[in-house]
Amino acid sequence: MSILVYALHYEGEFNKNSLGAVSEGAKLAKELGGEAAAVVVGGDDLTDELCATLGNYGVSKVYRAKAPEGLAQPVVDVMAKVIQDEGFKYALFGGGLLGFEIGAGLTARLGAGVTMEVTAVKAQEGKLVAERPILQDSAIVDVGYVSEPGIIIGRLNAFDIAEGGDGSAEVVDVDVQLEDHSTKAVMVQRGEQRGADVNIEDADILVAGGRGLGKAEGFELCESLAEALGGAVAATRAVVDAGWYPYAAQIGQTGKTVAPKLYLAAGISGAIQHKVGMQGSENIVAINKDPNAPIFEFSDLGIVGDLNKILPKLTEAVKAKKG
Amino acid sequence: MAVAPIEYPPPVEPDREFVTKPTDPEDERIEVGVVIVGGGPGGLACAIRLTQLLAEDEALMESLGEVPVALVEKGKGPGSHLLSGAMMKPSAMQKLFPDLPESDWPTFGPVDRDAIYLLPNRKRAIPLKPTPPPFRNHGNHVTSIAQLGRWLSQQAEEAGVYILGETSGHELLVEDGRVVGVRSGDKGRGRDGQELSNFEPGSDLIAKATVLAEGTAGHLTGAAIRHFDIGSEDPQQWELGVKEVWEVQKPLDRVIHTMGWPLHFAAKYREFGGSFIYPMGEDKVSMGLVVGLDYRDARFSVHDALQQLKSHPLVAEIIDGGKRVGWGAKTLPSGGYWARPRQLWAPGMTIVGDGAGMVNVPTLKGVHYAMHAGMHAAEAIYERLKAGGDCADLSNYQKKIAGSEFEKDTYRSRNMRQPFAKGFLVGGAIANMMEISGGRVPGGHWPTHDDATVPVFIGPEREYPKPDGKKTFDKLSSVFASGNATRDDAPNHIRIQDKVPLEVALMWQNMCPAQVYEVPDDQLEAATKDGKLDGKHEVKLQVTPSNCVQCGAITAKGGRLTPPEGGDGPNYQLT
Repeated sequence: MSILVYALHYEGEFNKNSLGAVSEGAKLAKELGGEAAAVVVGGDDLTDELCATLGNYGVSKVYRAKAPEGLAQPVVDVMAKVIQDEGFKYALFGGGLLGFEIGAGLTARLGAGVTMEVTAVKAQEGKLVAERPILQDSAIVDVGYVSEPGIIIGRLNAFDIAEGGDGSAEVVDVDVQLEDHSTKAVMVQRGEQRGADVNIEDADILVAGGRGLGKAEGFELCESLAEALGGAVAATRAVVDAGWYPYAAQIGQTGKTVAPKLYLAAGISGAIQHKVGMQGSENIVAINKDPNAPIFEFSDLGIVGDLNKILPKLTEAVKAKKG
Repeated sequence: MAVAPIEYPPPVEPDREFVTKPTDPEDERIEVGVVIVGGGPGGLACAIRLTQLLAEDEALMESLGEVPVALVEKGKGPGSHLLSGAMMKPSAMQKLFPDLPESDWPTFGPVDRDAIYLLPNRKRAIPLKPTPPPFRNHGNHVTSIAQLGRWLSQQAEEAGVYILGETSGHELLVEDGRVVGVRSGDKGRGRDGQELSNFEPGSDLIAKATVLAEGTAGHLTGAAIRHFDIGSEDPQQWELGVKEVWEVQKPLDRVIHTMGWPLHFAAKYREFGGSFIYPMGEDKVSMGLVVGLDYRDARFSVHDALQQLKSHPLVAEIIDGGKRVGWGAKTLPSGGYWARPRQLWAPGMTIVGDGAGMVNVPTLKGVHYAMHAGMHAAEAIYERLKAGGDCADLSNYQKKIAGSEFEKDTYRSRNMRQPFAKGFLVGGAIANMMEISGGRVPGGHWPTHDDATVPVFIGPEREYPKPDGKKTFDKLSSVFASGNATRDDAPNHIRIQDKVPLEVALMWQNMCPAQVYEVPDDQLEAATKDGKLDGKHEVKLQVTPSNCVQCGAITAKGGRLTPPEGGDGPNYQLT
């Protein structure tokens, strides 16, 4: 076996970012001529059926351990054991706070090499090479591993989900004796940071608003459209700064990084600080009254016009189409 | 009458806010031998020289405790906030590292060809031959001061200096009329000053001697000069430099300076400055535009004028097919001889480098003066430590500076900068006279003026190029290239008045190379009467402090820059 991928779940569903990592691991393992496996840690909600669905994303095996979920140290214990017993060469994480914590802990435990904030991985001469942006994303470096295992921690949503497998991963139960220190922390409560009620990182469709909305109430237009499309609302730093929308929805250098299928930017000029948070989006549509706005240079479809007129019409049209 | 920014002074009380007694309980204070504020060439040279001297006297070193020499740096590390041209005279490096061959210095090597051009317009360039003496740079080293700072900090750390990165010197600790150390700034405060979950209060760093090596528009330096009343009769003046580093296709074979376009020649604009273009090895070029902050037109922007300069054939050819790999901005003190603090020390404290105005404007040199001053400060402090340990009287530092290169060079050019207030042509003629006469004519004392007292007006719209993201850039892209990723909810560290006349507001908006100040559209509309802007109409500015690269221009032009949380701001690599 060559690559072990950690898959996070919550309430019977795998997290989108983890599914991206699982797909990427399976693809890379194939290129290396090996196989990828996933590791899941949690309670009774990890049913055989649920675990087996990871096969859809290309892994042949799923290691399942019963241990507290959502905490890093127990997962480190589980992954360290699986890697040592089964001889994995690489461990892959989709990123996120938990991924970073587990990846770092595992690195320390195994004396491994680690690369963080990885945006792409390639197979070269039978080994994996991680690409990592440096100096505020102004340059990219290739990182190879001189020892085993190599730990690769992706940037959030760096890896695309690909359903290619046959959907029948073998589920193997692992019995792990947790370290003493791993049981010290207990989950008291799950909560979103800074009062977030939108999960923009997992949304397939985002309607993002910028200063061009003119005022805080302008976000109502974005919200209606997002509702009609079945998406979520995101915001730029400038409008979060101005108090028009909560920080949890902020995209960009000092906010979140997203890669939805559709990113609709309303009244956003497209400064580089914003671009680095959404450039991975599959389709970018921009509405701006300024034809010189930088966003038009990296959008797939650009509309020069008044968003106060365009957004309501678009919302109507989407509703009409959906019936 | 046009309005001068000084009529709208910033809400700041340096003596009350930035000068205090130690407040930590005695057993929680951090005791060090000597504390140096600022990891630039001056502070680091001081630290290195001190360790060199202390190495010869182990007993003295031990008497200074666990940390004989500490250095606090507000950037992520030494180098992060350093920016200069820079063309360095070799004398200070030779003195500090006498056994190190010049080929091992962290520089791009000495210069052997230089050229200066007058740009009369957007197309033409007239070479001035022979190169006037101030612009001759044979033997000087092209340097990235951000890299030099990192290298010096390695040398300092190896020598045992305790370097505290991401730590600002926020308050000067004064007890019984003498400086006893500095207090570092708090971390982890929210926008309204509230303590966040990661809040960490500052600490009192108590030292036998304190060296302020904060660089341009120094925060504690300014407070100290006022508190101890050691300033000069003449106010300090500043210039703002905006700089880019380019990766280029073919190596540049000479050092270039330009004067003239895109700056306005007419006297009413008072645009004094010029550009520099230096080769950084085979594949990079450092270029920038430096302009005196006593300019008058609120529409003028150094950042955008630099973008414009790149369209001049002389410059366009150099960067053709290249890529911008670095950007930054910084002010430099330009008041020269008359404006430097009258006294460079106060009981228990010395001031070195740009904070003390140690720049010679005509030759565009300052790095080596700062390093010399740092070494002088180290020697002066060492003498006092050796003679019993009391560093209250540091007048020996002043004596060393009085006999130094800096004093001689700036005396020779003491009246060179001031005449440019009469416009470029008259100023140029008088400055030439000073050069030719070896510093004798014009004699007398030409006073300097405070940049913020110069009235500003709203001139006609300027034809700055539309940023194309390849050759020309908008300010936000530039901020990004500076490596600035300051958290958005940090407290505002910039002090300006809330409501100011449009003239002043637009001047700040355009002056700031990092887009910290913006006049919102609705405010601009409210200030428009019959299709014309009313410069007197008071507007409210939108301020985005997290964009700030701490260049210091706002301090020169009517506001006040204070240090934000340690670690904030740019992370310069090549500047």
